[in-house]
Amino acid sequence: MSNPVLVIGAGVAGMTAAVELADSGIKAILVERKETVGGNALDLYKAFPTDDCFYCFEGNRWRPGIRKCFYRSALIDQPNITLKMNSEIDEISGAPGQFKVKLTKGPEYIHPRKCTMCGLCLEKSKAFHLLSPQCQPQAVVFNPEKTDDGAKQAEEECPTKAINLNAQPVEETIQVSDIIIATGYHELQPINVDEYKYGKYPNIITQLELAKIIDPNSDSGGVLVRPSDGKPAKRVMMVQCVGSRDENYYPYCSKICCIFALKHASILTQERDDVRVSVVYMDIRTYERYERYYRRSRESGVEFLRGRVSLVQPREDDTLDITVYDSLLNKYLKFTVDLFVLSSALEPPEGMDKLIETLGIKSASGFVAAADPASEDEVVIGDHIYACGTALGPAEVPESVTQARAVVSKILQSRK
Amino acid sequence: MSEMPVYNLYMGCSVPANYPNYEAAMIKVAEAFDIQLEYMEGVGCCGSPNLRSIDYMAWLTVNARTLAIAEKNGHDIVTPCNGCFGSLKDVYHFLKHDANHRKQVNTILKKEGLEFKGTITPRHFVEALYTDIGITEIQKKVTKPLDGVGIAIHYGCHLLRPADVTEFKREYLNELIEATGAKVIEYPIWKQCCGATVLPVDENLGIRLARDKLKSMKENGAEFVTVVCPACGNQLDLQQLGLKESYGEEYNLPVLLYPQILGLAIGMDEEEVGLSMNRVPAAPILDHLSG
Amino acid sequence: MAETKEPAGPPVTLTEPIEMSKLDVKFREEIHSMPNGEELSACFACSTCTAACPIANIWKYKPHQLIRMILLGMRDEVLSSDEIWLCLTCFQCQERCPQKVRVTDIFFDCKNLAAEEGKIPANIIGLAKELLEKGQLYTVTADWEREDMGLEPEVPGLSVDALKNILKETRTNKIVDSGE
Repeated sequence: MSNPVLVIGAGVAGMTAAVELADSGIKAILVERKETVGGNALDLYKAFPTDDCFYCFEGNRWRPGIRKCFYRSALIDQPNITLKMNSEIDEISGAPGQFKVKLTKGPEYIHPRKCTMCGLCLEKSKAFHLLSPQCQPQAVVFNPEKTDDGAKQAEEECPTKAINLNAQPVEETIQVSDIIIATGYHELQPINVDEYKYGKYPNIITQLELAKIIDPNSDSGGVLVRPSDGKPAKRVMMVQCVGSRDENYYPYCSKICCIFALKHASILTQERDDVRVSVVYMDIRTYERYERYYRRSRESGVEFLRGRVSLVQPREDDTLDITVYDSLLNKYLKFTVDLFVLSSALEPPEGMDKLIETLGIKSASGFVAAADPASEDEVVIGDHIYACGTALGPAEVPESVTQARAVVSKILQSRK
Repeated sequence: MSEMPVYNLYMGCSVPANYPNYEAAMIKVAEAFDIQLEYMEGVGCCGSPNLRSIDYMAWLTVNARTLAIAEKNGHDIVTPCNGCFGSLKDVYHFLKHDANHRKQVNTILKKEGLEFKGTITPRHFVEALYTDIGITEIQKKVTKPLDGVGIAIHYGCHLLRPADVTEFKREYLNELIEATGAKVIEYPIWKQCCGATVLPVDENLGIRLARDKLKSMKENGAEFVTVVCPACGNQLDLQQLGLKESYGEEYNLPVLLYPQILGLAIGMDEEEVGLSMNRVPAAPILDHLSG
Repeated sequence: MAETKEPAGPPVTLTEPIEMSKLDVKFREEIHSMPNGEELSACFACSTCTAACPIANIWKYKPHQLIRMILLGMRDEVLSSDEIWLCLTCFQCQERCPQKVRVTDIFFDCKNLAAEEGKIPANIIGLAKELLEKGQLYTVTADWEREDMGLEPEVPGLSVDALKNILKETRTNKIVDSGE
């Protein structure tokens, strides 16, 4: 069968699936909604379980090293992969094995192969922006809303003629044999969980927002700062199970939040100066090898409070007074903190329901569900339809990779 | 508006006895918006929440009876009291979902030729204003808007919770206040109870809760307070006078029932809304009316 | 409460455990079958209810502990506790419960069971008596205030007999009788 495989979403799972299909000689069309690959993992500074820096250094552009960087370079170098950035799936029709997929590819203002990231355009106009030195495709991005005269000048002076400000979106229809759903997750923005006052005060953030702050590539250069004024934050409180294990929001355990929080708590106490971290939890779920994160964070002085938050009150200086009920002590404790970090639920990404409806597949709590829940093939969603990674529900990186490989294996077997 | 909305008016016992100004202001506001309120015949106290604590069946029955009478009249119930609203709404919700209790209650009601069917909805007066009249129509009638003065809202527990039962959103009351030109003051303990329900068991605790609320409202910039319940009104207004003695604190926060504020904003005078009956002198609100 | 005879000799351990076999294992089912008690067993002891409660700080037994006691069968302790009567019925515990346990509603159930056994604070019995005799909690005393506001001195349509008649047949009557 010569038809390519469609992979929706270029996060950890989608990239793994595309690269390993391509390496096995199968053409893969990797469609990504955003302007860079990497998905949510791109915003992680370090990832468990290996604590690899998820921001690989500059040199990795040419020298594949760390797992993620390896995938990234393969995306460009592997001829069997067609990467479609800024692209949305509009419609899927046709029979299994010969799906017709209509998609819109966003305007290609910057030619990804011509751009050398020399930085000339960045000096000319604020409309150009480098997401990171390691971004993939290796190209700057252009924001048409910020276009100005400098942008036109940059278009003329670009040494490789990589800029086309008149680029238009392109609609196209492709035929594919199989579809891999790797659409990932979205971190709940817990504005409705009103006891935590998220969205009302700047120093109340989510774990993913914290990850962006402590990323060495952040505005603060990885220094832990308060969003309210950019000043160093010294006292941090985290609260677990925000919107997860909660029948009012998402009934499931989001699985990664405990380890995500412990990872951040350890980084903050071990790698930043004078930062004190308290974690309010109801259960700590560090299954299997992750127990060592829990022990390590206790050893590094992270304070664990078994209980729930009673009241969050802002103070004049943008710090927050937080009253916590400690159920082990049977007392209410008051803390004053710089940052209040919510370990918010992982929820299905936007558009998931539409995709599920279009493909006529099953759903579990809004995520994609296996065709046969009793079977071992959790990645088989339907006839010639597969899913991997957090499209199937909360998952950690190694699990997403394993599932992606399972999908590739299933497709290879079907073509024997 | 195409048709004049008609409602069964359920007063309960507290508003008529303690808040004739609330009752009168509500009726006049209703008239101004062409809402027809008809006093219900043959009904009385809802028993909330004490009856519910000691005699669940009696509480179900008396409230189901009120609902059944309204069903005969064929109009929704409106009430100005959170206690009555909470009771009626809870019983309505519970009996709709619990066939067994519905049967037991209806056996008793049958003696009076009544039956609870669940065909009409009990509603709070302010919810009816918000939903059936709407903010746009209300704003059209505001001729003497307030000057952006800060008002803290005490919604009252039984207006908001349990949310799946009361189906009331705090935004309704926020928007109703903003429609008069006032500014809604946010304060951290807006959810907290006024303390009314605990008075019979622990009076000091009840007063402490009222005091904490007033303190939080004042600290966050409130100049006035609004309530939509006689029990909450009593706690925040009347009890406020005693705080000088018990806590050595004076808040001077006038507490107005929402129809009083809306009444003034649509051009009624202070006597029409019975401003002199408020315990903490409420006349300062008049200085904030423009036009 | 009847004193049970202590076994002879020194205790085996220094802890004094609650003897589980002496608790009322049926209590949990009893509450479970009462109005809005269905979700009781969903409790996973996170203590959100206690974090949400504005007054639990002064309680001997916190809300989550009361739920725990119900689940374990500590019927006497729960029904004799002051806490169930101190409950503000503000429903904040119930609103925040991540497992949708109707905590406040369950405390109402507990109060009804306590009332059936005559365990009611004196002031609440007083209110019950008031309801039984007057058919209402508040009576118009200052009818001139009503007239000043242009209202009828008597509340239009008010009937106190309906409530009285219902209460005569129910538990309230029994409570007031035995309270006197």
